[in-house]
Amino acid sequence: MSPARFPGRRMRRGLLAPLAAIGIAVCAVLAPLAASADETCNSPYMRNLIRGQEDYVYVWTLGVEGMGDGSDKLVTVDVNPSSKQYGKVAHVLSVGTRGEAHHMGFTDDRRHLWAGGLDDSRVYIFDVYSDPSRPKLVRTLSDLPQRTGLVGPHTFYAMPGRMLVQFLSNSKDHGGVTGMAMFTNKGELIRTYGMPTGSGGDGYGYDIGINPKKNVMLTSSFSGWNNYMMDFGKMLQDQEAMKRFGRTMVLWDAKSMKSEKVLDVPGAPLEIRWSLNQEDNWAVTASALTSQLWLIKQDGNGQWQAKAVAAIGDPAQVPLPVDISITADGKGLWVNTFMDGKTRFIDLTDPEHPRQTYEKVTGKQVNMVSQSWDGTRVYITSSLLANWDKKGENDEQMLRAFAWDGKDLQPLFEVDFYAQNLGRAHHMKFGSNAIKAAYEPLDATLAQNR
Amino acid sequence: MNRSTPRSRRIASRWAVGALALLLQGAALAHEAPAQKPGFTPPAAGTYRLERIMPAPDGNVVDAAGQRSRLAAYTTGKVTLLSLMYTACSDETGCPVAFYSIASIRRTLEKSAAAHGRVQLVSMSFDPDNDTPEVMRAYGGSQAGGRVGVPWHFLTTESRRELAPLLAGFDQDVSRPRAAGPSQDLLHVLKLFLIDRRGWVREIYTASYLAPAMVVNDIRTLLMEDGAL
Repeated sequence: MSPARFPGRRMRRGLLAPLAAIGIAVCAVLAPLAASADETCNSPYMRNLIRGQEDYVYVWTLGVEGMGDGSDKLVTVDVNPSSKQYGKVAHVLSVGTRGEAHHMGFTDDRRHLWAGGLDDSRVYIFDVYSDPSRPKLVRTLSDLPQRTGLVGPHTFYAMPGRMLVQFLSNSKDHGGVTGMAMFTNKGELIRTYGMPTGSGGDGYGYDIGINPKKNVMLTSSFSGWNNYMMDFGKMLQDQEAMKRFGRTMVLWDAKSMKSEKVLDVPGAPLEIRWSLNQEDNWAVTASALTSQLWLIKQDGNGQWQAKAVAAIGDPAQVPLPVDISITADGKGLWVNTFMDGKTRFIDLTDPEHPRQTYEKVTGKQVNMVSQSWDGTRVYITSSLLANWDKKGENDEQMLRAFAWDGKDLQPLFEVDFYAQNLGRAHHMKFGSNAIKAAYEPLDATLAQNR
Repeated sequence: MNRSTPRSRRIASRWAVGALALLLQGAALAHEAPAQKPGFTPPAAGTYRLERIMPAPDGNVVDAAGQRSRLAAYTTGKVTLLSLMYTACSDETGCPVAFYSIASIRRTLEKSAAAHGRVQLVSMSFDPDNDTPEVMRAYGGSQAGGRVGVPWHFLTTESRRELAPLLAGFDQDVSRPRAAGPSQDLLHVLKLFLIDRRGWVREIYTASYLAPAMVVNDIRTLLMEDGAL
């Protein structure tokens, strides 16, 4: 070892300086926690980036044969009203193949956006930090079925310094028994975890939701490749296929990644939303086939239970609840029902007794729904799965933005994804110029080394 | 009328935090630090696996005495809990949380003879412009060194150039304000790394995932792997 040189950097402050400044520091340390922000349905381990108006909505879009290059695309829509491009497509990034684009998720530092294809099982890692208006594809994971035995990467969930990916299927029989895989943020596989098949477990998977305060992870269950790639009408007539849907949620010890309890939740429970109110420790999900809203919370003995607490629409009409989006205070929930094209607001003030307070037909078919942290802006998209979307003139493909004043959804703008030769609009994530405008990376080599 | 410059305000802020840290270190010695208390009982040590996430990077560092070394000297041979930080951090959910948590973890480990000589703690700055060895020495205060059998090292680097590969290797984001202003806070996600004695990162912690009892169990899990427990 040798003494280091720090030319010109000597301790040169007087003793009084730190004492005089203690008051400033105390104020800084005791200041109220900065309000959380961003969109409302992200991993709790993620940096919250957006403090006010989001600048972009990234739409992971399924390619359609004969439409443009026919490939899946990350479409960036400018959603800042102060922009000259407001409501317009700002950027289109084709990945060059068509593989059933579906869901996305940010890394914990929110610098990269992971997106997956349910058919080809590819995972794309986009840099949304260097230039949020023009995402850049920096890595493609294209051999996951061979390396993991898993098919259909669905949920991309930020963990501290890692990404946890929930798959829907497997490479052996393309059924619903599946698992999860953990990666470094750079995309290196760490290990896989099988979904439990004992103690009532069906082995199926769909979404991930973690409550760090309780060290609890919930997973839900959908169906395998054989079903989600089948024509929807044909599947409905196939009684055996209709038996192959998830009917469980699994409670995991989030630290040890060990399953602890299988909860009976029939009818394909999909998205999981923990209340964002720091005082709450409950989650909700919606079962697609049985059209029920479920509450997952601890009973008086501290045991986690799931119970159906409300019907969504008329279950006999099979409205098919799909995406749900919880408000920042945990007191409300947007629910899209695919078949009737309705966007519904559920009052969760009493989560044991939710009640629908509003509904509006927002499209011929609606799937994903996202909202701003303050709840005043709501975005919806249209596509469920390429082979499950409606046919003919009902196969509307769009992004629609609405203003929400607590009483009514008022249209702000829409992007017709077919008219613009883009494809089927699916998952949305928000983007912002805030950090790029105010900060420069000290670690510029990160992107180069990726 | 005196008008403070951004530079002088930054110095004052940095020293304020440093001085506050010294005061709080004294408080920490007197009673349990206000580190994160979990709303759950962490799984027992040795009942779960800690995966080999990635190799810890290596590069040039400088200790609080101004001695140059390789980071590997501080990330191999013992179980290491390494925090990436900067001394002027005033985010109450950021580096101060790491400091408190490490101090709490250290007090627990002090009571275990098996940890003595087998565990080390490292705080490494990602602000080489300001965190000189002298500043790191002041920041570490009485916590620095190995007086209790579980040493706590305070490291920095000579330059951003020396720092860059380490940040890249840990995949640690750090950004600084583009313009001079009253706030010169560095934007980063708080991360601490648990590294086994062979230099592999086995766990990554962040502000909402840093319960000292859980970290202690993780350290014990690695000590059990080594047959030390």
